[in-house]
Amino acid sequence: MSATAASSESHAPGGLFTRQASGLVRELGIPAATGISLASVAIVNTFINFNAGLTAFSKAEMYLPLLAGAVIWLVAMFAYRHLLEAVPRAGGEYVFLSRIVSPAAGSMAGIAIAVVFTWVLAANAHFAATFTPFMLTGLGDAFSSSALANAANHVSSNGAVAAISVGVMLIVAGLSIFSLKRVAQIILALIVLQMVAFLALALLLADHSHADFVAAFGSYSHHGGAYRAIIAAGKASGVAYGASFAAMVGIIPFMVLNYNGVLYSYYVGGELRRPGRTYLWASAISLGVLVIVWVGVWALLRRTAGLDFMQAQANLGASDPGTLARISTLSSQAGGLGYGLVLSGDPITKILFATAVPAAEIAVNLAFVAVTTRVLFALAFDRLLPVGVARVGERNHAPVVAIGIVLTMSIAFSILTVYANVSNIVALESLFFALILLAGGVSALLLAHRRPDLVRRAGAGDVERVAGIPKITLIGAATTALAVFTVVLVVVHSNVYGKFSAESVITLLVILLAGPTLYAVARLIRRQRNAIDLSQAMRELPPE
Amino acid sequence: MSPLRRNARRRACRGGPALRIFFATDVHGSERCFRKFLAAAEVYRADVLLLGGDVAGKGLIPVVRHNRSVSAEVHGQRVTVPEAQADRLSADINLLGFYPVRMEPDEVEALNDSEELDRLFRREIVAQLTRWCELAAERLAPAVRCIITPGNDDPLEIDAVLAAAPRIESPERQLCDLGPVTLASLGDVTPTPWHTEREYSEEQLAERISAMMDQLPEGRPSVINFHCPPYSSGLDTAAELDAQLRPVLRGGRPSFVPVGSTAVREAIKRYQPTVALHGHIHESRGAQKIGSTLCINPGSDYTADVLRGAIVDIAADGSCHDFLLTTG
Repeated sequence: MSATAASSESHAPGGLFTRQASGLVRELGIPAATGISLASVAIVNTFINFNAGLTAFSKAEMYLPLLAGAVIWLVAMFAYRHLLEAVPRAGGEYVFLSRIVSPAAGSMAGIAIAVVFTWVLAANAHFAATFTPFMLTGLGDAFSSSALANAANHVSSNGAVAAISVGVMLIVAGLSIFSLKRVAQIILALIVLQMVAFLALALLLADHSHADFVAAFGSYSHHGGAYRAIIAAGKASGVAYGASFAAMVGIIPFMVLNYNGVLYSYYVGGELRRPGRTYLWASAISLGVLVIVWVGVWALLRRTAGLDFMQAQANLGASDPGTLARISTLSSQAGGLGYGLVLSGDPITKILFATAVPAAEIAVNLAFVAVTTRVLFALAFDRLLPVGVARVGERNHAPVVAIGIVLTMSIAFSILTVYANVSNIVALESLFFALILLAGGVSALLLAHRRPDLVRRAGAGDVERVAGIPKITLIGAATTALAVFTVVLVVVHSNVYGKFSAESVITLLVILLAGPTLYAVARLIRRQRNAIDLSQAMRELPPE
Repeated sequence: MSPLRRNARRRACRGGPALRIFFATDVHGSERCFRKFLAAAEVYRADVLLLGGDVAGKGLIPVVRHNRSVSAEVHGQRVTVPEAQADRLSADINLLGFYPVRMEPDEVEALNDSEELDRLFRREIVAQLTRWCELAAERLAPAVRCIITPGNDDPLEIDAVLAAAPRIESPERQLCDLGPVTLASLGDVTPTPWHTEREYSEEQLAERISAMMDQLPEGRPSVINFHCPPYSSGLDTAAELDAQLRPVLRGGRPSFVPVGSTAVREAIKRYQPTVALHGHIHESRGAQKIGSTLCINPGSDYTADVLRGAIVDIAADGSCHDFLLTTG
């Protein structure tokens, strides 16, 4: 100990005094934690969810779902705040469940998240592939290249989609073998690109009137009455216009998924300065920013493009793409970015709108590879997988074996998605994500009961109570109730969020039971080899 | 023969290990973690308990006397209790890994003087470690060997405390016979941004390691207990810091870089110990192979009162029979 230093709180009598020791000042403040939260949300993916809501529900409208989704995460934010104060560690639900509920529940969450995230990598690559025609159209428009624009007509076959999906994963693979520091810099560049595209879209929408949009859409489609033709075609094919409360409630799970990531600074809980307070502010600011940005853009889209038009275009794109293609070449999947492309008059914004989604998918996949390989690391360290899985490259410091496994699996999933109908198998993906939120709620609900020692404040005889009930239990109960509400919506609208079939239910059960099963098998094998009993790995040690 | 020795012999007879080591590190003044460390001998049936450095705490909280109450600021919140409950408040603060120091309001002001604060820290660290050594003597079964070596965050004063404790072995920079293997220990690390007391250049570290390891008889299997992990091993990944010691963010996330020692890595390649045990980088828990050596960093979670550790089973021929990372 060569030196000591009083912390920033040292001027208040009785504050914390620290000595200069390694690791102590590695603390993230509110701005850094806010950055982490916002970077964890793929902002342009909101158009995917807008499109999904518009096609899945008749008379869909986004104001209420956007606000309800925010409220659900707001309540969850308080639950995670208490969890983070009690267990200020990285690892999220895996750590919370294993510490508060049981190691088996934690293993269930850890392995299920690893498997589902690997699938999500493939789904993102597949989405980027299906978005390619829009990208080529936009780039063709920007560079006045008919070759690029024509190429858009040749990239929608199964072979092309499979090749592009694999190509996206290979790009992700190539970038992932750089050091984590370099990968983070690449992610930052891709996030900046998305943010600039979103800002440009907002400015374009604000700067143009509805009449401007109608004229611009006609010009883009080489058909002066294209706007009205879309609405008429939609009406003819049975699209109901307007807004309904039932549809708005039904869309809420889409918007819950939309905000997924906004609270993710708890994944770096061990790095936060005064974790509870920092996390709370960072999450609240991030949530507030997203509500303003998304609700604002939705309002601008309604004003400039019109709700009826958006409902007609999205539904025609899903149910009658031939009719839509005869009126306009604008992809319905692109949503707001497509409307931006229509209004854009300069090549720079066109390039931005064309490349924003592929950039977002590559950025998200790079982050998911890092997260999933971390989970594989943990499984290898717990001896559920061979230790070799955690091998790190000496030159690039990258977990080469784990990256290889994740990318091989996701490339296989990508090809499978194109050539086989796996929609039944992965139908309950939305339910799984709702169950993750439920896991956080249940952890908070049980925290004061299972681990009061982690909740009780120094010097206090008991945990904080409201009307005799521990405060964290009440917050956990509210989060659990809202998570259950989301799960119920997903289940009730199973035709939208994933049908219950033998394949989908068995797949979900297999994924959830994989952790405990792997644990039991590994334990049995180790016993036969006279190795250390695996049950010792998570055994609570008595301090007394 | 003690039950623990009987356990070891029974395991060896079944073709199992001849020696079981429980290794933990970086408890940083956490009273509860140290108590768990002592309990690990019985729970994991370990023959040797090994604490690999950084036992000293990092934070000191004044418990200030007022009229008939005492108060302290814990995790940013002011806690005030009647004077009769002062001991409990101090114990709670101690469990959180901080040193509670009873003082008058005017004495707190003196802590803004870094020399005075340094003196107080050293006093509290020595006092706590002395208590811990007594606790070990009280609680451990006679057959269990308890080895505690310093780390870079431990002031030099603790060496004398450990040397004087009859129940503790502290073979820092020495070889120590454990039966089937020889243990080599080194708490020194490469320079850190915090300029702690046991920091040396890579060259100096290499010399210290050679001076110790060259004494190892030819062919004798060894286990090394080096606080600093090998460079770029996956056991040394820490947050990158800027000049103001703030974490560097890239892509909206903290940037992580390898911070271990190349001298340690070269030593592992050269001497090929059976097992290499490390600490220092709390967030870099894991196990890796460098050549034939199994390298382990159990990590540290002392702020959550969780003792992270590793059980290592050594076979009679000095090879590694098995290992398991634990969370207790």
